[in-house]
Amino acid sequence: MTTQLPPGLQLEKVDERIMTLNVGPQHPGSGHMRLIVQVDGDYIVACDPDPGYVHRGEEKMCEYRNYITNIPHLERPVIHDSCNILYPYCLAVEEILGLEVPERAKYVRVIASELNRCVYTMYWLAIYGIFLGHSTMFMWPMGDRELLIDLLEKITGARVTHAYFVPGGVRNDLPANFEDVCLRQVNYFEKRIKEYADIFYDNPILISRTENTGILSRQDAIRLGTTGSVLRASGVDFDIRKKEPYDVYENLDFQTNVLQSGDSYARSKIPWLDMFESCRIIRDALRKMPKSGSVRVKLKPNPKGGDVEVYRRVESGRGALGMHVISKSKPEPYRVKISVGSFRNLICIPYLLRGEKLGNMPAVYWSLNYWPVEADR
Amino acid sequence: MSVIAPKFRLGYFIKALLDNIFWAVVLLTLAGIPAIMILLFYIDLPIIDGQILTPFLAFTWMTHPEMSVPLVKAFMQTDFFRIAAFPGFGFGALLAAGVIFVERKMLAKLQLRVGPFYCGKVEGILQLMSDGIKLLTKEIIIPAKADKPIFWVAPLLFVGTAAAFVSLIPVAPKTVVADIDVGLLAVFAIIGFFPIITVLSSWSANSKYPFIGGIRALHQMISFEIPLILSLLGVVILTGTLNLSEIVESQATYWWIAFLPVGAIVFFIAMLAELERIPFDLPEAESEIVAGWLTEFSGMMYGLVQLGSYLKLYAFAGLFVVLFLGGWQGPMVWPPFPEEIVTEGITMGPVTAQIPGLPLFSQEMLNGTLWFILKTAAVIFFILLPRGVFPRIRIDLLLHVGWYRLIGLSFVNIFIALGLLYAGVLGPEGIL
Amino acid sequence: MGTASGIIKALNSGIKHLAVKRFTLRYPEQKLKFVGDGYQYDPTTGVGIAGYKGRHILFHDKCTGCQLCAIACEGVAEAIAMVKVNENWKHNKKAIMPQIDYGKCVFCGLCVDACPFYALYMTNDYELSSFTKEGLIYTPSQLQVKPQVQQDAEIQIDDRGASHG
Repeated sequence: MTTQLPPGLQLEKVDERIMTLNVGPQHPGSGHMRLIVQVDGDYIVACDPDPGYVHRGEEKMCEYRNYITNIPHLERPVIHDSCNILYPYCLAVEEILGLEVPERAKYVRVIASELNRCVYTMYWLAIYGIFLGHSTMFMWPMGDRELLIDLLEKITGARVTHAYFVPGGVRNDLPANFEDVCLRQVNYFEKRIKEYADIFYDNPILISRTENTGILSRQDAIRLGTTGSVLRASGVDFDIRKKEPYDVYENLDFQTNVLQSGDSYARSKIPWLDMFESCRIIRDALRKMPKSGSVRVKLKPNPKGGDVEVYRRVESGRGALGMHVISKSKPEPYRVKISVGSFRNLICIPYLLRGEKLGNMPAVYWSLNYWPVEADR
Repeated sequence: MSVIAPKFRLGYFIKALLDNIFWAVVLLTLAGIPAIMILLFYIDLPIIDGQILTPFLAFTWMTHPEMSVPLVKAFMQTDFFRIAAFPGFGFGALLAAGVIFVERKMLAKLQLRVGPFYCGKVEGILQLMSDGIKLLTKEIIIPAKADKPIFWVAPLLFVGTAAAFVSLIPVAPKTVVADIDVGLLAVFAIIGFFPIITVLSSWSANSKYPFIGGIRALHQMISFEIPLILSLLGVVILTGTLNLSEIVESQATYWWIAFLPVGAIVFFIAMLAELERIPFDLPEAESEIVAGWLTEFSGMMYGLVQLGSYLKLYAFAGLFVVLFLGGWQGPMVWPPFPEEIVTEGITMGPVTAQIPGLPLFSQEMLNGTLWFILKTAAVIFFILLPRGVFPRIRIDLLLHVGWYRLIGLSFVNIFIALGLLYAGVLGPEGIL
Repeated sequence: MGTASGIIKALNSGIKHLAVKRFTLRYPEQKLKFVGDGYQYDPTTGVGIAGYKGRHILFHDKCTGCQLCAIACEGVAEAIAMVKVNENWKHNKKAIMPQIDYGKCVFCGLCVDACPFYALYMTNDYELSSFTKEGLIYTPSQLQVKPQVQQDAEIQIDDRGASHG
């Protein structure tokens, strides 16, 4: 019995040697996305990433809400990094509405966004650990993340979806004697992440698994338009906090970490090294912060902007995160375009995985610092 | 075509009952009684106090406290008890259950968390039991296109093979299920069954991920069997025997690990690979191939495979202790059994219970078992520890380690053993 | 020999951490302590007061039924509905007050920012689960109740590691 195929459809010719594996969306080794992997034995012939399972239409939703009510839904793509995804939006809307942010609010924003970057990186690191079969590296970051979540909860009043940044500053001031608690927990956090070196980053088995796998050369990294830790692991010194400093980053003392090798090991090490810099920034910001002052400018109930277009970008946990906001003299933005680091790093997957072994797939895939929900927006 | 159940009528019910009784009586007379007769004819009944222990006599004695103790003692000498309970399956399964609990608690402690906590009031000590009950009550789902007979039988085969492995491990002097002269060869033969069972189960599941996992397991087990076997040749060269009990007895003054540390390390690493434990758990790598060859198992079939793999872990740890750490050898720490309990009985207040025939176990055996368990626990600790410390290794690195490094090292070990033998330091006619 | 020393270092680190304190909050027995009594907002300065964003508390003697909270919730969660209450207040002629559906609320606190009369705050109460969907809808009289919370666990840090004391 043969079924008549509708015109235009053809049965795909199946190669006997090549087996197609659907890694995801219901697979422990994928996020909310699918990797269509074709394997010849244990070698990957081709890999086609298939995102879009958690598309939410964030950009369209922005066009029906005013500048303030856009805040809660805009942080949904990356709830672990919600301060950083709101940061470019707030910067752009401040530009549109012509708001001058108070000095103390800028420092509070930097502290909150650095804490949030560490929270995100710890979550990512935990999943990287479990992808490589290292169960301790899943539990430790998940536990130590709690130290920073506790701090963020003290500042913002919520554990993950903070809704803390608003155009014109932040929602509330830091609680009383926050500095002591923050210094104590951040110092302990830094001591803890130093201990990851022995068990994870200096572990010879990990190095043998991730070194020289999925090498992205400097030229390719620039050509493919990667960003964030992937770019810095390939030897390009590019960090928006340094290159285009926003708020008070130019006053703060930190450095960017650059590794030259461009393999999975370097890509997985850059976020870990960045966490030490984040701790430095937090301590420096706590020291340099004005001790009192307002943290939010008062806003009219339904603010309207002029006919302007603004593009602002920040360095998030996954690289450059930009928002292009177009205002047409209405309370709602005319258009909000979100450009995320995850989606720009996703394009590397077919290039990096071709010719690799199947065992390298999780190590390479998750080292791209990719967050499926953010990529789909 | 479904059959509609007829309406209930008392006549049908009584007829059905009578039918069942009739067929039961017929089957019992035609098949049951001859079977019992044949069984009694072929089995050697034990002789206790000069009497042949017929079933009738056994049941009479069970009601008599003075006679039941020698009966129990006689039962403990039987092969059935050895296989099912003490040095065999039951003992191994008990230790395996302990290993699972200790593994979960220790891993939790290493990872700064609590682990099983609420089940059983004290630190979750009954967690394993509740897990077992859960697995028993779960539905067993079999893939539609699986090769059903092989798929069903694979977990049973796995447990059976692991139990056969356990039966070769001597726990204490004269306490071993199968004390055979080719003990070590039998161990190698049994280890050789595991890859076959793994491949059969993964192939019969007719699914992608189990198949890849099964092929990986086959690669891994076969390539690590060679260093595993070669690393033990040093011990065989020095002792001149394959009997495991005799190998233990040869270590009365010093343990082989003192002279053959290279062999011990190679054997330990190869053992981890054979057990599919982290860092060599490629056949079950969950981020690449879901759960490897265990993907399609569900319910108690999965539980059986887990039981088998932990039995295997205990057996390998026991083998390491037997070959390198002196087995049951150790200073006598078990207190001697007081003689007056046997002669005068135990006095508890007004009641005096006289139990002739005690003790059931000898002092040497209990002491040996104690030392064996202590050493095995130490080895198991080092088998469990890498799970919290190392990530998973990659298949090509794994094979590289197996074929290039470990085989070379095991040859070095053999040369060390031969050198010690021909220099006249060790061996049957050595100076030590 | 770098490999061997790395492996030994990793094993050593693993064994050392067997002695570090467990870092687990045993939730139903222990509850984390929060800053203050919950998120509040001061409309005169336009700045909030730090606190946990939990269930709301509604002060009936201050609510004027102006619906600003319901308007603020439009487009966010649409969880607030204004309902009639059987109360007579001079400042609340329409006798309407917010009713909040916690099946929809996202706890962003923008309704608190919208209230100009100090009538709607948030509290530390986060245990809102219910067996029915209707049980998640809190009427103005339910929102009036001040929650009783027992939250006293804090992160303690000492030489043997952090723990929830």
